[in-house]
Amino acid sequence: MKFWWIQPLARAIVAFALPLLVPALITAMIWALPGNPAEIICPPSICTGGEELAARWNLDKGPLGFYSHWVGSAFQLDFGDSWRVLTGKPVLELMRQTIPNTLLLIVLALIPITLGSTLGAFQQPSKRWDPLLVFLNVLPVVVLALLAAAVVEINFPGAEDEGLVYWIRMLAAALTLGIADGALSGAILGNRSMFEQENQQRYVGISVLRGEGNFANTLPNLAGALVGQYRSRIVHLLSAAVIVEKIVGVDGFGALLWNGTLKQDFGVVLAAATVFATLSSGLLLCQAIVEVAQNLHQRRAPKIDMDEVQI
Amino acid sequence: MNRRRIYIVLAIVCFVTLLGLAWVAPDLSSSANRSNSSLKPWEYWPLGTDRYGRPIIDYATQGARVIALPSLVAGLLVALFGMGGGLIRCVEVPTLQAAVQFVGEIIGALPRMVVILVVALLLPLDWRSLMPRAVVWAVLCAPGAIDEAGAVAARLGGTRFVEALKAHGFGAWRIYVHHIVLLNLRPVLVRQGAEAMMTVAFLEVALSYLAVVEDQSSFTHSDNLRSWADLLKEGYLWVALGIDSSHVLFVGLGMLGLIVLTATALTKAAEAR
Repeated sequence: MKFWWIQPLARAIVAFALPLLVPALITAMIWALPGNPAEIICPPSICTGGEELAARWNLDKGPLGFYSHWVGSAFQLDFGDSWRVLTGKPVLELMRQTIPNTLLLIVLALIPITLGSTLGAFQQPSKRWDPLLVFLNVLPVVVLALLAAAVVEINFPGAEDEGLVYWIRMLAAALTLGIADGALSGAILGNRSMFEQENQQRYVGISVLRGEGNFANTLPNLAGALVGQYRSRIVHLLSAAVIVEKIVGVDGFGALLWNGTLKQDFGVVLAAATVFATLSSGLLLCQAIVEVAQNLHQRRAPKIDMDEVQI
Repeated sequence: MNRRRIYIVLAIVCFVTLLGLAWVAPDLSSSANRSNSSLKPWEYWPLGTDRYGRPIIDYATQGARVIALPSLVAGLLVALFGMGGGLIRCVEVPTLQAAVQFVGEIIGALPRMVVILVVALLLPLDWRSLMPRAVVWAVLCAPGAIDEAGAVAARLGGTRFVEALKAHGFGAWRIYVHHIVLLNLRPVLVRQGAEAMMTVAFLEVALSYLAVVEDQSSFTHSDNLRSWADLLKEGYLWVALGIDSSHVLFVGLGMLGLIVLTATALTKAAEAR
């Protein structure tokens, strides 16, 4: 394909635009909805002092004033203070406490997914196990999270959330995330069919005749697709983490976002949404870089010494 | 009866059951009656009662009412988006294809739950219903459906396939609707739609559960309605604390199973021959 660079370029542009786009969309929504923006972000039934609130959040300066001030502050890592989750506490501090737990959770959840992907790449397990994988595919995250929470509660009733209990909770949540909503079965079945199709290509057959292995030949060609799969799985894990953290009791970023939404803490939700978008942007950029590397690798012509060529 | 027909009948039965449950749901849940607390289905027909003596059938029917229409709308929207994505691949408009891919890239990069929660925060409390969240969810699912339908259309030959059928003298309706959508895109569109339907139902249960455990109003339905999440919450007490509410948990899981069965049967019924 002549214009192979268009797709990675589009991904890179989106990656750089996304952290700016998410607050822009939220701003547009606030002004597009009927009613006063100050009353939308904090309804009068919960908040008092609408004018003061509007001035403090630059809502009185219109959508552009609000957006530019918020983005400018966010670039300096000033996300303001929490209104209702932990009133008066800087949102940045809340994020510092919770983001490491969520990142650890995602890394742990990626272990079963990576194992599943590796098995799938080597055409394992056999298709006899497909009914079990299909069953795992439809298990909703909320049900598995309840099961994980019950296991922790039964074994450690009322225990402090530190030391062993912290790790048990973390592992239970990670296992839930790694299995639920088709995360594990999708990794196995997706990779298995992808490698199965690629193994039928002529170049793989020729490489086998040369005495080379399948995997070493197919992997460079599938690198972009694999990274794309991983990216969408991680984005999905970030989404599901909101539910799992809250039910299993992990003090993570997802739980913070949920608490912010439930308590109508606009400051926390706006900051959390932007950080989630930034994480997703990082992943998108990684995918674009791998796609560029893959295409350059595929287009790298072998050097031929013309003096040695015999016609 | 061949296997396809069995799945079609199963899908219809499951879906009619869901709609029937939604149809008979009472507007208000029954008041508590301690003298009937925790009765099993054989003691209080048809599904027993909860800890407060409320009939569980109320939870099942009201939960179905909360979920039925929004999940159906989300499923149809995703199928429509997918159909649009597939058809775009069959017409020679590269700028439109590029624009769709660019927008899809942006939407696909957004963590879905974050968007749903932002929407939940910003929408007025009077609009508390699953429908707007289901529509947003459908939009978030759209890039996947568009990609997959586009890939199927591209494998079919895209514009060359259309040109070949035109050469046979077929009209636009026959080419685009019959040959491309009904004969070739159907399995993908139905599967994507059914998956969206299922995930909207799961989303409702998850959001309601998180609100219910904190004694807060749900974002997805008004306070006079009960969700299937209430069944899971009550049933969880049996798993974690040994309180006698196993029958409530099984009804809750059964309701989720009904959704899974509907989606699976729909997908299987629409598979290519």
